[in-house]
Amino acid sequence: MRVIGYTVRRLVEMIPVLVGITLVAFLFMQLLPGDPITILTGGKASPQTIAALRAEYGLNKPVYMQYLFFVRNALHGNLGTSILQQVPVAQLVLQRVGPTVFLLSYGTLIAVLLTVPLSILSAMRADRPIDHGIRIGGMVTFAMPSFWLGLLLILLFGLKLHWFPIAGWGEGFLGHLYYLFLPSLAIGLFLAPMLVQSLRSSLLEITEAEYIEAARAKGLKPTRIMVKHVLRNALIPTVTILGVNIGWLVGGTVVIETVFSIPGLGQLLIQSVLYRDYPTIIGLVIVFGFLVMVVNMLADLSYAAIDPRVELG
Amino acid sequence: MDKDSCKRILGLVLLAAVMAVIPAAVGACGSAAQTTASKTASAAVTRGGDLTLARFQEPLTFDPVGPSDNGSIYLIEQVFNTLVEPDQTGNGLVPGLAEKWDISPNGLVYTFHLQSAKFSNGDPVTSADVTFSLDRAANPKCPYAFLFVDVKTIQAVDANTVRITLKAPSTPFLSSLAVFAANIVDKAVYEANPKAFGNKPVGSGPFMVTKYSRGNEVLLTRNPYYWKLGADGKPVPYLDTVTVKYVPESNSRILGLRNGTFDAIEGVPFSEAKSLASTSDISLGVDSVYNLDYLYINHQKAPLSDKNFDLALNYATDRQAILHTVFFGYGTIPNSFTPKMNFWDKSVSLIPYDPATAKQYLAKSGYGGTTIQILVPAGDAPRLQIAEELQQMWSAVGIKSAIQQLDIGAAWNKVVAGDYDVEVNMITSDVNDPDELATFEGDYWAVGDSHGFYSRYKNREVTDLLAKARETSNAQERASYYGQIQKIVYWDGYSVPFNFTPAMTAYSDHVHNFRTVAEGWWWLDQVWMSK
Repeated sequence: MRVIGYTVRRLVEMIPVLVGITLVAFLFMQLLPGDPITILTGGKASPQTIAALRAEYGLNKPVYMQYLFFVRNALHGNLGTSILQQVPVAQLVLQRVGPTVFLLSYGTLIAVLLTVPLSILSAMRADRPIDHGIRIGGMVTFAMPSFWLGLLLILLFGLKLHWFPIAGWGEGFLGHLYYLFLPSLAIGLFLAPMLVQSLRSSLLEITEAEYIEAARAKGLKPTRIMVKHVLRNALIPTVTILGVNIGWLVGGTVVIETVFSIPGLGQLLIQSVLYRDYPTIIGLVIVFGFLVMVVNMLADLSYAAIDPRVELG
Repeated sequence: MDKDSCKRILGLVLLAAVMAVIPAAVGACGSAAQTTASKTASAAVTRGGDLTLARFQEPLTFDPVGPSDNGSIYLIEQVFNTLVEPDQTGNGLVPGLAEKWDISPNGLVYTFHLQSAKFSNGDPVTSADVTFSLDRAANPKCPYAFLFVDVKTIQAVDANTVRITLKAPSTPFLSSLAVFAANIVDKAVYEANPKAFGNKPVGSGPFMVTKYSRGNEVLLTRNPYYWKLGADGKPVPYLDTVTVKYVPESNSRILGLRNGTFDAIEGVPFSEAKSLASTSDISLGVDSVYNLDYLYINHQKAPLSDKNFDLALNYATDRQAILHTVFFGYGTIPNSFTPKMNFWDKSVSLIPYDPATAKQYLAKSGYGGTTIQILVPAGDAPRLQIAEELQQMWSAVGIKSAIQQLDIGAAWNKVVAGDYDVEVNMITSDVNDPDELATFEGDYWAVGDSHGFYSRYKNREVTDLLAKARETSNAQERASYYGQIQKIVYWDGYSVPFNFTPAMTAYSDHVHNFRTVAEGWWWLDQVWMSK
């Protein structure tokens, strides 16, 4: 019940933040040079055509009126129509949010699956060759630009070995798992090194604690000590780092989406900004803002799940 | 750490590895089936199959009057028909939905007789559909309405006859009817739900849209009612389906072609062309299209308003070097201010690379050392390279310049506002009559107020020649006029043209008849596969 109440409260608190985000985004868009209708029509349209199209999209109205119309429509669930694609913004965003959320979730899962065993191995074999190998390997994959890492994965697993497809996101849940494995691995290999470093440090620190000494003195096996007593206490800082980076990745998946031709929000954002598709930009700002806040909320909820001493609220 | 603990840790690592393998196992059966096996080309047309085509632009709408982007236009051409159509090369005109037409002696009245054709839902194509569609194309809200400003009335004479009356004779008018915006839509379907038509179009073309996943792919399926016949006497298209995938990254398109995921790709980077051409089982398509890469010049701003300075820029530019380093030898050095179109005059001499002559023209212009801002769309590596080479070449003759990179929207805004010096860009044409582009670029006073497509170039003689070329239907006269226009404008230093840039595609050897027509798209109804 406490968790539900906390979650509801956080969701309600998101509303004024989203309103503020849309206002700031709206104002910043007015500062951008470039008119969406001129860009859309490619420069050959007559002034009459441009004026008619501007009127159709309400772009001839004062900025404050455009914003008020947007808010009024948004309260009725209408985010407007994309100037570029001439379909409802809500439809466009809903079509693309799935691939992005799937990609982020899958990438995070791979990062976690890599992080936990590698961190434990690294901490338990601290300063041994295996520890150095894990940390150096992590530095190498972290230093690689995600664009290049993605292409390397395509070259090896797509072109040479034919193990995975190189573009698209497939049909059905299993299809998505198959098609998004390589891009998610690219994300996981970017996230994991930071998480391994953080978790390894926390594990080493906590293994020095007196209660861990006491557990050893009781005769508990090292693996049991590590998993049952050390790991949970060491996770909190790593969860914080994970939460911050996922929030950053929400807007940063465009490189991976472009390399692997995934029809996600990142590609849509770039296209919308280049073409000054104002309604779509605002719709995306709302979605990105919401996703980042949800990720932060999930990180906070996970603290309470990991450590019973943490109280929500 | 004891052995048991080590084993358990390694077990966790292996578990993670197994989790990674499961997705591969799920797709293993599919991936084996996807591997292309047949490499043997057949001499006879083979029907059937799915062509997977990877493009770097996605379609934004299938409504013919909506877009001006090639992502949409090239696929619209596969779904609809116009009254008259570009021929197989794109340079000529052939009957489309109009099997024949009559033009009155005064050139004002065009009467089109429709052939018996059906839309993909079985509805017959009638004059009501034609008048409805052309009225939409001529509506001021349509970006290409400027092509129909000479139209006075569009009338349905009977169910199979349409009459169009012009305000003044216009020889290019037939070519305007072949442009994508003049494609004929099913009036009843459109009026039933106008907002949905761009997603679920109904046309009479060779294919119909059976799946449209934005940002991902489009599935085109054979139109069972299509009326054109193929080489074997049966209706085209030869293919059952075409899957058009949106793959914005060029490396991904090339890797996909190499590993058999794609059968054909467009937008092959020049740097990859020779490598692809030398790959077994892959063919490179290098097709002449209406495309010109050039340097826009703002003739309103000093010192660019001085013809001597513009000629100095031309003489100081080593186009052969640019053709070699940026375009890897693909294309030809232009002698024109427009792409190579009908009535292109090959006898117009090229402005040679001659730094000494450039310095003479520079001295005549009284150049005072102003830094010329070279505007380049951000993220466009080849155009940036051109700008850098121009900077070096011009510096050698004493012209100062700086490169300014802006995103497409901001850059175009500056060009439209006249707040630029020069811009590295390109221009294409969707119309196979030279009048549209030549007027746009060369006539400061043309309808539309773009002032020579934002060049602010003024020459009354050119405007008069353009009007004459538009009014006469005599091909020899038109050729003479356009030849004069080409020579005057080019040698006025209107721009610094770099390349009649070809369209670069690549396709597997089992794909036949895949080529780019002059307007930039492909006639997919003529493509067949042998596998």
